[in-house]
Amino acid sequence: FNSISIFPFLSFTEMRDKLRKWREDNCRNSEQIVDVGEELISDHGSKLGDDVWIIYEQVMIAALDCSRDDLAMTCLQELRKQFPDSHRVKRLSGMRLEALERYDEATKYYEAILQDDPTNTAARKRKISILKAQGKPAEAIRELNEYLEQFVGDQEAWHELSELYINEHDYGKAAFCLEELMMTNPHNHLYCEQYAEVKYTQGGLDNLELSRKYFAQALRLNNRNMRALFGLYMSASHIAASPKVGAKVKKDNIKYAAWAANQINRAYKLAGRGTKENKCSVKAVEEMLESMQITMS
Amino acid sequence: MPIILTTQAYCKMLLHAAKYPHCAVNGLLVAEKTKDNKKDPSAPVLCVDCVPLFHGTLALAPMLEVALTLIDTWCKENRYFIAGYYQANERTKDFRPNQVAEKVAARIAENFGETAIVMVDSNRLTMSCFEPIVVIFDHHENKWKSRDVNQDCFEDWCEAQKITSSLLEGRSYEQLIDFDNHLDDLRNDWTNPVINKSVLDLC
Repeated sequence: FNSISIFPFLSFTEMRDKLRKWREDNCRNSEQIVDVGEELISDHGSKLGDDVWIIYEQVMIAALDCSRDDLAMTCLQELRKQFPDSHRVKRLSGMRLEALERYDEATKYYEAILQDDPTNTAARKRKISILKAQGKPAEAIRELNEYLEQFVGDQEAWHELSELYINEHDYGKAAFCLEELMMTNPHNHLYCEQYAEVKYTQGGLDNLELSRKYFAQALRLNNRNMRALFGLYMSASHIAASPKVGAKVKKDNIKYAAWAANQINRAYKLAGRGTKENKCSVKAVEEMLESMQITMS
Repeated sequence: MPIILTTQAYCKMLLHAAKYPHCAVNGLLVAEKTKDNKKDPSAPVLCVDCVPLFHGTLALAPMLEVALTLIDTWCKENRYFIAGYYQANERTKDFRPNQVAEKVAARIAENFGETAIVMVDSNRLTMSCFEPIVVIFDHHENKWKSRDVNQDCFEDWCEAQKITSSLLEGRSYEQLIDFDNHLDDLRNDWTNPVINKSVLDLC
């Protein structure tokens, strides 16, 4: 009764390793996790050893995503039997209630955990997720800010907060969150690039120049980040085209934009080699870059 | 002036929403330029295709600008023009256009005054797709007003229903490429030739 599985012929070790990789990368490919995990548990459960509990947890959460309450309950019941008083398992029970949209009951679950253990970060984050799900972004933001005052090193929380602010179009505060992340993760090209995007969106010449600098920084950290490359091109082009800049700034930015355009063209040619479908993209990019050159000069 | 959706446009929108059920998704709708210059102003605009854009955070400008410019160039080569915008919100219960939708639509409207916003009502997304699950908004007197959606909004609703349902069941959404996927790996083709072929094969 399952939909077509795209992993029909994996061995036991391959299935177990795939699940581990998805856990490590925090992927949300829930349908695939359910496909592989369900088969692994039912056909090879005895071979998993202690891994089986973390796999039950992973599969349970994926099952909730896929509305497979039957599978979620199976996993949850095994976990409850094995770890009867665990807060970690109670959190999973709460998540199941969330999936069923029984938010008030779920909130009570989490508050009970927090009564017992006020430092339980997972329960606090679930409460914030419920506010998101209920369409209460202002409250979610407020709670998350309070959480971060206590747990100032929680990267995941800073990133979540930046996204919440972006969705509310509060780009200044989103930038602040990303600044925190860049400070503690100076080599992470994704944070640099996202920060640059936020600055660009904020607009204005100063923010554009900042965005260009951070797109460039992201490229230094990872020269294959296409968003950074495009971003560098767009920001430099806009600065060069601005009537407010002096001749030198204009000239410099035309140089940056030209360099970026060249790199973009190269990247597309490299990608398009061997596929005739991509010829259209390559051409489109070339024309786009040419048309923007015209508006710049 | 009202837009009509072909099967290809409709099913790619739904596949995009189905691929990222936990995210907001958006994209552009394209129509063919009419061959004769005398366009009947009351004739409906046929959206023949859609280009899936982003999933997750929709409210940032730079990649959207890149996508709009690139897709505009692609449209010119294919005698298309951008005629509308679609979006599915992160929360399934919410199908009203938000600020992002209105801003992008306003940008499109600079070139095509009758731009429509098509919101995908993910709450009603099922494998069988028995009813159309889009809500179409038109711009009247500075406000976006929703229009009644029925089979007349589709070039061929029966075909659209059958093919969309079939592709959802076959999990074709796993192969759908949006502009975000393209930026992650340039070899990913946002014109979706694979899905287009699947649609054609089922027609």
